[in-house]
Amino acid sequence: MSLWGAVALGVAVVVALVLALVLRARDGRVRAAAGASGGWALAGCSPSGQDRVLLLQLSSPVCAPCRQTAAVLTELAGRTVGLVHVELDVADRPDAARELGVLRTPTVVAFDRDGTELLRVSGVPRAADLLAGVRPALSGRLAP
Amino acid sequence: MATPAEPPVDPRGVRFAAGVTTVVLALVLLSGSGWLAAAQTVVFALGAFFGLRFAPYSVLYRLVVAPRLNPPAEKEEAAPVRFSQLVGFVFALVGTIGYLTGLTVLGIVATALALAAALLNAAVGFCLGCEMYALIQRLRTRNQGATA
Repeated sequence: MSLWGAVALGVAVVVALVLALVLRARDGRVRAAAGASGGWALAGCSPSGQDRVLLLQLSSPVCAPCRQTAAVLTELAGRTVGLVHVELDVADRPDAARELGVLRTPTVVAFDRDGTELLRVSGVPRAADLLAGVRPALSGRLAP
Repeated sequence: MATPAEPPVDPRGVRFAAGVTTVVLALVLLSGSGWLAAAQTVVFALGAFFGLRFAPYSVLYRLVVAPRLNPPAEKEEAAPVRFSQLVGFVFALVGTIGYLTGLTVLGIVATALALAAALLNAAVGFCLGCEMYALIQRLRTRNQGATA
């Protein structure tokens, strides 16, 4: 029986569990905007008449949660007027990841009609929280 | 490393393997046995160098655990998981060398680091080695883009 080994075991378990709690709390939670802009240009499109909010999803080729995120956002955009979902692969578009300061995939950055960042989420977003976060921008008055 | 494309893997199997790894590494720390550390190093090496279908804990999962569960709802890419086995291999190898050469502190520290990463994966499914793989892939494509 190694005393220092037992101490190291205790430390490793505590560190891993604290990290696990931090990651779990952060995963999928809506965070404040990091001040990015020009979302529509990065997505390679411009908002048409009804479009109010862009959900720009950054994904990577090997990433199971990216596919779950895409499914959640496709469904959300499908049933929400004015909400647009665009997915970019960071392998094809490293410039977009750099521009937005994104290290982890999936990360979703929401932009308003002017292209100003509203919020961002890393991990699979909870649809209700995401929708609540962008709702003020969605209900903005329609352009004439 | 991941030249022949491997079929996608059941993420529950990956977490199961991480759980077994955690238990084995905990026994290494408690017993101070360099030979047990060496055995875990071989386990990592099989998965990292020959593919996940040869990784002993994955085989155990496929033969014993998976038949009792529903089919997986989703699968994940093998390449990042295989890379994480390589990272585990490096830490376990350093730990083994530490224990067997009398550098016990090195053995303890390297084993404890590997254990923390394995426990993180087993507990919440966060695979540190897989995240490293994704970042390295991105840096690699960025550099290719710059030189092209």
